Amino acid sequence: MTRIITRRKLIHGAGATAATLALAPSIIRGAGAQERTVYVNTWGGSWTAAEEAAYFKPFTAKTGIRVRTVAPVSFAKLKAQVQSGQYEWDVSGLGIVEFSQAMHEGLLEPIDHSIIDRTQYPPQNINQFGVASVVLSTVLVYRKDKFPNGGPQSWADFWDVKKFPGNRCLYDRSFTTLAFALLADGVPADKLYPLDLDRAFKKLNEIKPHIKVWWTQGAQSQQLIQDGEVDMIAMWNARAQELIDRGAPLEIVWNGAENYTSFRFVAKGTPRAKLAWEYLKFASQPQQEAAFCSILPYGPANPKAFDYISPEVAAKMPSRPDRVKVAYQPDAEWLAPRLGQIRERFAQWLAS
Amino acid sequence: MAGVVTAAPATATGPAAIPQGPGAGSVPWLLLMPATAALVLLFVLPIGYVLLLSFTDPQVSLAHYQRIFAVPLYTRILFNTFATSLTVTVICLLLAYPLAYVISRRNDWISLVLLICVAVCFWTGFIVRTYAWLVILGNKGPVAAVWQGLGLGAPPQLLFTSFASTLGMTHILLPYMVLALYSVMKKIDPNLLRAAASLGARPNAAFRAVFLPLSLPGVVNGSILVFTICLGFFVTPILLGTPKDMMISQLVNQQIEELLAWGFASAIAVVLLIATSIVLAIYNRFVGLDRLWG
Repeated sequence: MTRIITRRKLIHGAGATAATLALAPSIIRGAGAQERTVYVNTWGGSWTAAEEAAYFKPFTAKTGIRVRTVAPVSFAKLKAQVQSGQYEWDVSGLGIVEFSQAMHEGLLEPIDHSIIDRTQYPPQNINQFGVASVVLSTVLVYRKDKFPNGGPQSWADFWDVKKFPGNRCLYDRSFTTLAFALLADGVPADKLYPLDLDRAFKKLNEIKPHIKVWWTQGAQSQQLIQDGEVDMIAMWNARAQELIDRGAPLEIVWNGAENYTSFRFVAKGTPRAKLAWEYLKFASQPQQEAAFCSILPYGPANPKAFDYISPEVAAKMPSRPDRVKVAYQPDAEWLAPRLGQIRERFAQWLAS
Repeated sequence: MAGVVTAAPATATGPAAIPQGPGAGSVPWLLLMPATAALVLLFVLPIGYVLLLSFTDPQVSLAHYQRIFAVPLYTRILFNTFATSLTVTVICLLLAYPLAYVISRRNDWISLVLLICVAVCFWTGFIVRTYAWLVILGNKGPVAAVWQGLGLGAPPQLLFTSFASTLGMTHILLPYMVLALYSVMKKIDPNLLRAAASLGARPNAAFRAVFLPLSLPGVVNGSILVFTICLGFFVTPILLGTPKDMMISQLVNQQIEELLAWGFASAIAVVLLIATSIVLAIYNRFVGLDRLWG
């Protein structure tokens, strides 16, 4: 007798097997772990160390809930978890654009209002799926030794290759670079969105021959500006600050910075959602955000956190009120459904 | 690469499973079971899933495949991936063959030192080696210093060019080629070359008629290894090359990690798999894949 396995069954089996194999460690661990443990997705390295001090340790001390970490942060892993129903972690954080994409894809657990009190947060810091945590900024950075009499002060200056000659470097992230081009072309920061793509690409054509390299990894951007491979660059503020603290002759220009707010959320359908929201509530307190940002020079999304931060430390932060005024935020709602097409056009433009 | 590596144990079980006598009929099949099960579980099923995704995510259609061939960017990246892999393979072969020849033919400290150099290179992480090239080719690196020291003016831009990217990949893959060639050359009996000489062959003729043909399995093995690893290269072209040198795995990563477009990413992977299979089939037709196993 022959057993007939339908194609559908076979393929489903294949998917399930692949997912099971990929997540095997978490299942094994899940079986033996204590019940009151929350799994937090983190970047690893100094990021996790700061979280340990600012969030994990005080949280466990207060609630008795243990925190285990899984690194690195992966947007794709979120989708894999929700699709397979196997959860390696419960809580994570993503920048506002990816966060919006995840919302569109239905990958996020709606906020449990029995735990999270909406009124505790500024309205722009919370929606139905997550709470803002920290602000990361992409800023213009230049080498002071190359421009001793003052370097570029705006994206228009960055585009001005006659006044500020030197090697340039931009970030291979479509929407960030397109917005910088529009700022350079004179579009006011509050009128950037919806992005005028044709105008932005036209302006980018001007600067393209002068861009020595397009960076994709944070460490790469640091190496390029530190070694003097390039003289000015668009990079993350905390990465630049790290180099400045180590003695690199760099100047951060906050004018025209892209402030990118990170949101904490819970993976849709995780069996540990209650614990996850408990953790999220604790970590989103101004004192905790202040402690985290005092270790790493990101900015707290909650203005109340500045009450717990000394002015010297606040001087490094992108979300300080005077800096927020000269920066802009990407319109994630507009971007999320269009990102695929914009990315494709940008990649095509880069390769042409 | 995964295919080549996982296929090895299965084939290795083959000769061992030749029936030894009457009544041994079911034994070979039993012996094949673990390898077959591993291949099906770890290789066939996941690839089947990728294939399925490419037609069904987010809805059932051929749209992903149409897009790959309709948007010039994607066909160009696909072509570039194969062209780069071929270039790297040929350069690796040209550099590695004499090196492996010297290492395998000499039995002294020189061959030992060379072998250790190749092995150390092999064991050093490829990210480390990629970053080393950033320093070496950078505008404060030794190449630029020598250039300026010779009074040749401003050094040319070496970094962030196709040249740098090809150089980096060749450096990283060279040990694979050397070791593949070495393992075959070492087994060639030196007496065969002496026999050729005793029959009047000059060294050149002996090399061409005896050594070269016997070393071909190593050439095939090394070339396929380097070519297939190169097809999936990722970090080195990003760090050393230009956006024009984009390889297909960068594109897949972008689609999966940034855009969650798993269906499209799967379709790209399937096209890469089919294109690779076609290349291997052509190779098999003219050279013979069975040479892989010596």
